[in-house]
Amino acid sequence: MARLKLAGVTKTFSGFDAVRDVSLEVADGEFLAVLGPSGCGKTTLLRLVAGFEQPSAGEIAIGGTVVAGAGVSVPPEKRRVGIVFQNYALWPHMSVAQNVGYALKVAKVPREEARRRVAEALALVDLDGFADRYPASLSGGQRQRVALARCLVAAPSLVLFDEPLANLDVHLRAAMEAEFSAFHRRTGTTMIYITHDQAEAMALADRIAVMDGGRLVQVADPRTLYREPATEMVAAFIGQGMVLPATVLSGEERGRCRVAVLGQEATVRCRPGERARQGAAVCCRAADLGPVAPGEAGLEVAVRRAVYKGGATRVEVSPLADPSLALHVEGDDAGHSGRFEPGARLCLRIRSGWLIPGASA
Amino acid sequence: MRQGRGQEMALAAAVAVAIAVFSLLPMLRLVRETVAPAGALSPAVIEAGLASRATWVATLNSLVVGIGGTVLAVSLGTVVALVVTLTDMRARAPFILCFVMPLMIAPQVTALSWLQLFGPASPFLKLIGLAPPLGSRNPLHSPGGIVLLLGIQYAPLVFLLVRAGLRRLPRELVEAARAAGAGRFTVLATVVLPLMTPSIMAAAALAFVSCVGNFGIPAFLGIPANYPVLPTLIYQRLAGGGPAVLGEAAFLSVLIGMIAMAGIVAQERMSRRRDYRSFASSLASEPYALGRWRPAVEAAMWALILAILVLPLTGLVLSSLVPGYGIPLSAATATLDNYRFVLVEHAASRRAFANSLGLSLTAAAFAVLAALPIAYLVAWGRQRWVRMINLSIELPYALPGVVLAIAALLLFLRPLPLTGLHIYNTVWIILYAYLARFLVLAVRPAVSGFHQIDRALEEAAQVAGAGLFSRLRSVVFPLVAPAAMAGGLLIFMTAFGELTVSALLWSSGAETIGVVMFSFEQGGDSKYAAAISAVTVAVTFALMLATNLAARRLPSGVLPWRD
Amino acid sequence: MKTILNGLAACGAALALALSAGAAHAGTLTLYTSQPEADATRTVEAFKAANPGVEVEIFRSGTSDLLTKLAAEFAAGAPQPDVLLIADAVTMELLKKDGRLLPYAEADVEGLAADSYDAARTYFGSKLITTGIAYNTAAGEKPQHWADLVKPQYKDGVVMPSPLYSGAAAYMMSGVALDPALGWDFYAGLKANEAITVRGNGAVLKAVAGGEKPYGILVDFMALNARAQGSPVEFVFPSEGVTAVTEPVAILSTARNVEDGKRFVDFILSDEGQKLARDMGYLPAKASAGRPDWLPEGVEVKLMPVDIGAVVERIEADKARFAELFGG
Repeated sequence: MARLKLAGVTKTFSGFDAVRDVSLEVADGEFLAVLGPSGCGKTTLLRLVAGFEQPSAGEIAIGGTVVAGAGVSVPPEKRRVGIVFQNYALWPHMSVAQNVGYALKVAKVPREEARRRVAEALALVDLDGFADRYPASLSGGQRQRVALARCLVAAPSLVLFDEPLANLDVHLRAAMEAEFSAFHRRTGTTMIYITHDQAEAMALADRIAVMDGGRLVQVADPRTLYREPATEMVAAFIGQGMVLPATVLSGEERGRCRVAVLGQEATVRCRPGERARQGAAVCCRAADLGPVAPGEAGLEVAVRRAVYKGGATRVEVSPLADPSLALHVEGDDAGHSGRFEPGARLCLRIRSGWLIPGASA
Repeated sequence: MRQGRGQEMALAAAVAVAIAVFSLLPMLRLVRETVAPAGALSPAVIEAGLASRATWVATLNSLVVGIGGTVLAVSLGTVVALVVTLTDMRARAPFILCFVMPLMIAPQVTALSWLQLFGPASPFLKLIGLAPPLGSRNPLHSPGGIVLLLGIQYAPLVFLLVRAGLRRLPRELVEAARAAGAGRFTVLATVVLPLMTPSIMAAAALAFVSCVGNFGIPAFLGIPANYPVLPTLIYQRLAGGGPAVLGEAAFLSVLIGMIAMAGIVAQERMSRRRDYRSFASSLASEPYALGRWRPAVEAAMWALILAILVLPLTGLVLSSLVPGYGIPLSAATATLDNYRFVLVEHAASRRAFANSLGLSLTAAAFAVLAALPIAYLVAWGRQRWVRMINLSIELPYALPGVVLAIAALLLFLRPLPLTGLHIYNTVWIILYAYLARFLVLAVRPAVSGFHQIDRALEEAAQVAGAGLFSRLRSVVFPLVAPAAMAGGLLIFMTAFGELTVSALLWSSGAETIGVVMFSFEQGGDSKYAAAISAVTVAVTFALMLATNLAARRLPSGVLPWRD
Repeated sequence: MKTILNGLAACGAALALALSAGAAHAGTLTLYTSQPEADATRTVEAFKAANPGVEVEIFRSGTSDLLTKLAAEFAAGAPQPDVLLIADAVTMELLKKDGRLLPYAEADVEGLAADSYDAARTYFGSKLITTGIAYNTAAGEKPQHWADLVKPQYKDGVVMPSPLYSGAAAYMMSGVALDPALGWDFYAGLKANEAITVRGNGAVLKAVAGGEKPYGILVDFMALNARAQGSPVEFVFPSEGVTAVTEPVAILSTARNVEDGKRFVDFILSDEGQKLARDMGYLPAKASAGRPDWLPEGVEVKLMPVDIGAVVERIEADKARFAELFGG
């Protein structure tokens, strides 16, 4: 049974469609990340699921029960959905224990049992002994964990995360990621995780739903998203993909076809049923662009700048044939060698890539 | 660099002098009169004051109506703030304008309007056939009536402060509680109200100070009922005894001042208390959906406006159309004679309109000019004594008007030293008092305007080589001017119908509208009082509407009734 | 900065101008009066019509407030008024004692009753204002005598002007206190009957005509003018007699505009001025001016005989006693 089901959900704010015709099913126990740039509608989507907004069209069902749409509107307090907010939203006038135990108090759970469950939740997030502290005296990471504990104590079936790591520094983020991951494995709760950070999404999620301009662009597991992006937007958004204009020369054969990119021919992966066409686009990652073997013809590029990243150099180049395109390769001691001053010429070979499906595909 | 410092110090010095003259001097003179009348330290004045029974009666009454009015104002104001800010009620902006209007109407006009509404002579009640029988007293002539009107007068004040606090409440705190399963009222009780407590307490303190210092309402409702409070006691002492009793009046003023100070200090502490520091992002709360309750709630809110604004003003206008007492109003008896008398025939009224207009305009203009450098120092100055400035400017406004009036009387009874200029018994002493009292109304929005400007704008001018005064003139002041001018407008509206200060400082030729209206009522000519009040209310309302139209060009928070 | 300086300069100039303008009063007459607002305005308008070129500034308040303002001005050394037109002779006597009044020997006192103007010609009565009983037409009782007001049927139903505020009421208080038939017992009886005091006759009229109190002690012209306008009030001269004040006019010894002050006194005492008083509903001081509409021919108003000297002696003490009895 799908834990969460969205069917044709649309939300319009005075003429502007924040969410457009989104249909999605999240399986029970799944960790789904909703990924996209700011303004893509992911936060609105979360608020629709939580119940803080009403959909203009479409239906939302949680655990098989319709909670929004078709004349039904279940208020947030009845949906039993847990939320971890970006800014933690801890109540400053309550202690950690009171924050965590709030849902129990509202549900009139007897005091002894409530206290036990609060202690359990705090232990689960490694905050034993913090029960009587106040949020003002906690660090960012600790507050985030209190927010998590608060969310868990009511044992909800669905937990929503609204960009929870956006305010933490890099090291903390890594630690919390591990925390979320472990938590998911332990409890098997269905989780919807909103983020704009694709690395985070890739690391944590079972599936990722990419949103752009209010629409759902692609829903797939991280590997598929990386290797087979469905649109140029997804290609560029995930893993710093490069989108190159191409002409398809041959039809698909065993999952590959020949394309011509900037005067070079190459073999790339593609969807079944592809045919020769003009005006296509190919997605390449830095690893897909390699140096030519000596004597071979390749794509001539000029170096724009080289950025040292500790152990490797990111070299930004643009083809001489089309200086408006921005490509990049990784230079390190193996692979491309040589000096990467601005203006230096390199010759690249397109080793592999992915043919982005056409609009009709 | 040296020159820059010098200029800043010159500015600071000028501001300090202005503050001293307008804020500190009156207060010091008042205290001196109490502890050292006739120059030598003596407890005589204090002893006489403490021994008088009237002092204690008036003090007790002041506390009674002060606390009663505060309780009513806080309850009403908070409930309305919650409904307006947290729900999806429609037509919010017009509602807020109407609800805040009683705050802009002079208290004595409020008192008169309500008085006209009740009692056997009420044209309104007679019109609808509900007039009480002969011999029944007007129920408003009582402490209960005073508390009711004080509550209504200052509920908007509480409303504005609580609403501002609510809008700073991050919506995630409410949403987190709802997601945890709490229903609307549970969220209100466990999250919203506890977090609002500092705002509500600060508003309560401010309301208390205002209730205790109010003159117009207890003057109209309490004097006929022989229910003195400290401001009216001061007034009656002074009216009965002239300058001979200034010492006594000074003592009573200091007494009110101390009660008010307790309230002001409490308010300062409350608004600074950061126990409930919010560190979440400050997005405004999403409204609660009222669903099928919406029409009922909206109807109730507008019924409230009907009761506290429309009905009394209607009563006022009806009373201004009656030719004489006890005559029932009908198409045959209605007359505009009262307006004609007040606007055209009566010399004192014409003078009063001219005086009030002139005083309000001058006070507003001066205050705006002075507010700019003062606000600059308060917002961006480097000196530490700048914070002291803020408190001393607030004082003459926070303290009851009678206190300032008595202080001004004491200061200017004798001609000014070195110049022989005599401003006592002229319109200039009233101007001084208005400047001292209302300066803060222009400084506050100017400071808030400064806070919303990026300091880098001035720094860029500095880097380009502009000295302090030329920077102020060409870059800084033009940016803050709209905010300060809005403050000037507030001053104009407040000073136009003002009574408290001018009741004690006026003299023949220097009447203000409030004074003329008061003396009409005291002389039994309520119809003239009603006519003059109706005109003042119309002017105030027109100004509020006009500023509303220009509100888009003003920084937020400058006009109290707009977001 | 320039605007600030400009503004300050402008204000400074305005200040100097206004204050200097205040000093010169040529052609302006300043009048302090306790007449009701409308009557004071009418009087002054008529005076100005008869004396073109004179500007008049009126300052109107109750008698006691007026005197307080005056005292304040004397204390500050800058008294403002040129002429006074206030309720009663007692107040004038007190001012005369302090040397504040200017004698005007050439005033035309022909036709004035001898006791209505000062022998030393410092003040002159302008009209006759009596105080009687007014009652709402819907009231249960129809009082005829002062003594009626202390009867049980009138309990909690009587309102009267405070002698601490109104000159006419103060005069009546001492006059009644001296009267053997009434005396202080009358006031004690009123207090026992829960009569209330209000500031001034205007407030009494308001209470009675408005229906808040059915019965009131009120000056004649106010009640009768209101009745003529349509207000539901009736007025009666009690059988024991009434006290009357003469609303005298006087020129201050510190007057800056003595010329116009004398013209004002002349106007008040002239036939035109007296007729105006009659038209406004007052009993004029000069019998030759006729009678107001509400007093039919042949009916005489019975006055209580009052020794003004005795009243002057005891009025302050009486006021204090009243204050103690009624509070305030």
